[in-house]
Amino acid sequence: MLGRMEGKYDVVVIGGGPAGMGAALGARDSGSERVLILDREPDPGGILLQCIHSGFGLHYFKEELTGPEYAERFLENVIDQEVDLLSNSYVSGISYDSSGSKGVHVMNEKYGLSTVETKSVVLSMGCRERTRGAIRIPGTRPSGIITAGLAQKFVNMKGVLPGKRVAILGSGDIGLIMARRLVLEGCEVVGVFEIMPYSNGLTRNVVQCLEDFEIPLHLSTTVAYIHGKDRVEKITVAPVDEKLKPDMNRAWDIPCDTLLLSIGLIPENELSQSLGIKLDLLTGGPQVNSTLETSMPGVFTCGNVLHVHDLVDFVTRESLLAGQFAGEWAQGVRRPNDNIRLLPGNNVHYCVPHSLSPEREHTIYMRCQKPMKPCRLHIGDLKQKKLRFVVPAEMIMVKVKPELLEKFRGDTLRIDILPAEEKTD
Amino acid sequence: MLEMEQYTCTNCPMGCPLQLTHEGENILEVFDYQCNRGLKYAKQEFSDPRRSLSTTVAISHARWARLPVKVSAPIPKDRVIEAAREIHQLQIESPVKRGQVLMSNFLGEKDIEVVALRSMERIS
Repeated sequence: MLGRMEGKYDVVVIGGGPAGMGAALGARDSGSERVLILDREPDPGGILLQCIHSGFGLHYFKEELTGPEYAERFLENVIDQEVDLLSNSYVSGISYDSSGSKGVHVMNEKYGLSTVETKSVVLSMGCRERTRGAIRIPGTRPSGIITAGLAQKFVNMKGVLPGKRVAILGSGDIGLIMARRLVLEGCEVVGVFEIMPYSNGLTRNVVQCLEDFEIPLHLSTTVAYIHGKDRVEKITVAPVDEKLKPDMNRAWDIPCDTLLLSIGLIPENELSQSLGIKLDLLTGGPQVNSTLETSMPGVFTCGNVLHVHDLVDFVTRESLLAGQFAGEWAQGVRRPNDNIRLLPGNNVHYCVPHSLSPEREHTIYMRCQKPMKPCRLHIGDLKQKKLRFVVPAEMIMVKVKPELLEKFRGDTLRIDILPAEEKTD
Repeated sequence: MLEMEQYTCTNCPMGCPLQLTHEGENILEVFDYQCNRGLKYAKQEFSDPRRSLSTTVAISHARWARLPVKVSAPIPKDRVIEAAREIHQLQIESPVKRGQVLMSNFLGEKDIEVVALRSMERIS
């Protein structure tokens, strides 16, 4: 029920975005009766509420929806399943006793500062955007420099434009989508600048958000300096060399009053860190076993707080699974430890989960470091899969059957992406 | 006279560059597509390019200042900006239900509507 928090819970889910709602449904599917979602925002749905473009739900709902539609339909399922959901609620910590029971400390207008008791917890706090400080752009510190997702919230929910003449650094999907949104809202978008030689967004967005509106995309180019006293007045952009260093001899100035940053996302793990949960430096998210359980027993995780996904449908799939395992844990199910560790090898940036068990079928999610085509994915010596192409912007998924893992005698399975011509022996 | 158009296929992240030759409105041949979706895409882009459109409208007495809306079916690519301008004229009063039709017969095309993407309750 919306706005209710009462008694003890089997599973408490932290974060009410698509991952949190998926985990709550998964926990109910597992047979856990008492499930609570705590969300810090006034409306559940997370970042979907500001993503008004379509392209969500093709896998899960089998139709193409916009973000707000996906969120609201999902929320209806959550309410149908009698999950409790408390908005405007901030979780400040989690304590646990020797019996494994946990106390989630939460601040809420109605209940004040309280502690809710639960058997298991799902962390689904999502991610946040990298800011100017993360890439240290030289220059002055005027107003008018904001992240693309924040601009999206301003424009799509609050009805406030971030500026009139806008440059965008980084070609992530949010940046591309905001380029189109700002043009439709009457701004001038002077260009998108991407330090890499390829776009970080989907081709569809490059075509439909930039080319359709004749917005130039400058690859291998970055913002080298920000000018302006109180407000951004202009930026200096420069092509970069192979080491990604700006070549100032070929730099040029662009007058603008706003710079949008679309330069990547970071899983939001302050709460996880305060619990002493082990993180993976490559994903920025917790290390998890094949049940998506963190290094803290009974604490599970899913969605963008675990690793940044491209599609909400994949978040949903992962979250249903995390919720299922969290629900089973609450009911006393304990599984043997995983005995196969996964190791990212050639052209593999990361893989999730971090270990496997021959007990079940698994889906391994991974991202490559650089584009390659055609290529072959090697799961140790157990399995090979031909891929027409890989790009860092697109997550790679591969299923591994238990029969394969039963045959495996080692303790570490290395994953490589190699050019298709190369043969391994 | 034989002419050539270039497109980037948007069906998948491969983003195949496509070439289409035509004489006037008559398509002659499509080159460089890697799958049938690419072939179909080039023909559609040449004869009737369409785009879906989402934007927002002003809403009063609601938690947020803007209500997200979409056009129920893809519209001609060259009318997207005009369509956005027309939708922006709307002023909505809360409450609103998801799927509520805010404009019908949009751009003079029957069956094309402007609909609300979410519900918003009334807040005084």
